[in-house]
Amino acid sequence: MTAALLRFEWAAARKGRTAPLFAAGFAVASVAIALVGLSASGALAVQGFARTSISLLQLILWVVPLLALLIGAAAGDECYELEYIAALPLTRFEIVFSRWIAWLGALGAALCIGLGAAGVVIGVFAGMADGWRYLGLVALALLLLSAALAIGMAIGVWARDRGRALAFAIVAWCVLVVGVDLLAIGLLAILPAGAPSWPVSLLLLLDPIDLARVLGLGLFSANEIAGPTGAALRAVMGGWGSLLLSAGLVAWTALPLAIATRTFRRRDL
Amino acid sequence: MIELRQVWKRFGTRIALHPFDLVVRGGETVALVGPNGAGKSTALRILAGAVQASGGSVATGGEVAYLPQRLGVPPTTVVADLAALVAAARDVDPKVVRKALVFMGLEQRLDASLRDLSGGERQRVMLTLATIGNVGALLLDEPSISLDIEGAEDVRTAIASAGDRGAAVLFASHHLHDVAALADRIVLLVEGRVVAHGSLAELAAAAGVPFHTGAGGGLVDPPIERIYRVLVRRSRTLGPARAA
Repeated sequence: MTAALLRFEWAAARKGRTAPLFAAGFAVASVAIALVGLSASGALAVQGFARTSISLLQLILWVVPLLALLIGAAAGDECYELEYIAALPLTRFEIVFSRWIAWLGALGAALCIGLGAAGVVIGVFAGMADGWRYLGLVALALLLLSAALAIGMAIGVWARDRGRALAFAIVAWCVLVVGVDLLAIGLLAILPAGAPSWPVSLLLLLDPIDLARVLGLGLFSANEIAGPTGAALRAVMGGWGSLLLSAGLVAWTALPLAIATRTFRRRDL
Repeated sequence: MIELRQVWKRFGTRIALHPFDLVVRGGETVALVGPNGAGKSTALRILAGAVQASGGSVATGGEVAYLPQRLGVPPTTVVADLAALVAAARDVDPKVVRKALVFMGLEQRLDASLRDLSGGERQRVMLTLATIGNVGALLLDEPSISLDIEGAEDVRTAIASAGDRGAAVLFASHHLHDVAALADRIVLLVEGRVVAHGSLAELAAAAGVPFHTGAGGGLVDPPIERIYRVLVRRSRTLGPARAA
């Protein structure tokens, strides 16, 4: 039954305009960043995946969560319109989960097309060095997409109104993109010198975008631009930080999905 | 079989449905009638699992099929995709579902999205899919709404055929002539309370409306609109609690 519902949701997500627009927009932006990065140096041979990917990472960290939060919020709110489907022998968990996974598939494919186009440009003009790191960046983008989509769905299910859901999704994006970093800066300012940095590291775990940022920068060994929370985390966690960060992003997917399911199960349609 | 025992529902501070008992046996057709806001849809939505009752117990025998008043799926849904989902959910061969849609004259619309269909076509699709398979309880909320004469006839045929196949049918309708033609029993709800419940003849007697019985025991030209008006007016004069 879940497979049938997955096919149904996948067909709906695939046939809409959102995923193709996302793929086209992301491809244009990624290729533009790749080409601008390449031409700025004037030396194509030394510009590879590594340096261009730092710019692409910034695009991923800003654009992917915004779109995923908005689309997730709309998909979550739409759960309340599924009265006909909810009367079929399906659980509310199956309804929420299949929507999330269908959108993850559609947007994930779009993301791979977009980043793939940029990857082809970089590969053709600058060679394949550090190509595996670029694949890591794609995997990171998918992890972030998965978490942001789940958070968006939790917001949509909780808000149960399209306008409110989208407004809260935008607020959540602002908080996650800059709010937590501002809080970390404030925390660092008030902590006495020599105080342990674990509170800042803990704060990082509360922000999936910071988790992804540190993971991404770790991929390209760009510690110097990891941001205050990222710097603190790398100092505290050392070598096994990547695993913890990846687990953090997975938790940021599982927890919102659990909250969305619990909320949806308790509410009337 | 459909069974509601002391089921009630509160939305915020408003009680939408006061404690309510109803049993619909397999092969029986029961109609819920009443003014807007009477609690008809709430009762159906509780049975369909879309709304949780505030109290009481609900039981249904066999698979439940539900046609809500609103569409109940995203309007961008493609007919064939929904048909595939219903086929899998009801464990019916997809070819049988397709054949049923073709039989209803929808062959050219299988690849269309629901929003591109006319109101009548959309209702035909939803009704066909709702009644497919081995349904034990069929719940229909205003199934004839916005339908033309042919569409309304399709609804009557679907209800009658589900009843013939042994399903317990419970439907809400403002189309009183459909109710008179199809329902074995009628439940009149006003402001969330049952103010009358019985066969059309019993309701006519309760309303004090004269009627004629035909050779088969049924009413000849049943004055259902008059019966309805008398009972609703009485419940409003006395208050639904006293009328009940």
